[in-house]
Amino acid sequence: MRKLSRNRKGITPILSSLLMTVIAVAGMSIAITATYVITDGLHDNMGERLIVEDVGFTSGQISLYLRNVGKVSVNVDAVYLNRTSQSFSALELEEGQHGWLNVTYSWSTDSIYEIKVVTRRGTNVVDYYMSPS
Amino acid sequence: MLWTITCRRLRRDQRGISNIIVVALSLVIVLAIVSNLVLWNYEMNQVDWEKMREGVIIRDVERGTGSQFTFENDGGLSVHLVSLWIINSADRQRYDISVVINSAETKNYLREDIPLPEGNYTVKVVTERGNIAVYSGS
Repeated sequence: MRKLSRNRKGITPILSSLLMTVIAVAGMSIAITATYVITDGLHDNMGERLIVEDVGFTSGQISLYLRNVGKVSVNVDAVYLNRTSQSFSALELEEGQHGWLNVTYSWSTDSIYEIKVVTRRGTNVVDYYMSPS
Repeated sequence: MLWTITCRRLRRDQRGISNIIVVALSLVIVLAIVSNLVLWNYEMNQVDWEKMREGVIIRDVERGTGSQFTFENDGGLSVHLVSLWIINSADRQRYDISVVINSAETKNYLREDIPLPEGNYTVKVVTERGNIAVYSGS
């Protein structure tokens, strides 16, 4: 034991091997994390599906009833009426959930509106709806 | 003889091992990404394909003690109806329903708590996969 503690030969290769192991493990961890992040983002983008069940026109407001028919949660990020961004009540729908999305807008009677709903991941649902007379 | 010598040389020669390990690990990572995305893409294509094959028709709506709806599944897959809308010029009401209709089956659905409005109205049902069937009556 005393001989071993005094003998310092061969320390450098051990240290270099240890350092290389640490670097390799760190590199692999970064690679695996990056893989997870990239795959997860694409995974969620592909799994998003949203439908508009119904559209209701009330005074100063257009209400859209949305249903999440995809495999991931949906967060509504923007609503466009005739290609103009509008303010709306925030809405997040988990898988299979449904709910009203209220858009503040002074609509005119007997008019056709192009309504586009865009999610945070970029999925969009667009259709034309006619306001009542 | 030549084969044995080559094998012995290869066993002794350790140069290039790290390159092989790096390539193997990179291949594992790439394979993991690609297989994950391909499998998920396949699953979502299946979802879209099933939605396209689904078909439901509202054959009839009758007034009685409440309302009776006749649904027909004319698609190739079982259908799960999850939402029912009764809409007229004054109001739009949504009801949660859970009706499963097998392929080529016609089903009557009676709801005593759903009154049909007077005059013209529209009935809409929504399936779990996201298809909508509409019926107009008066």
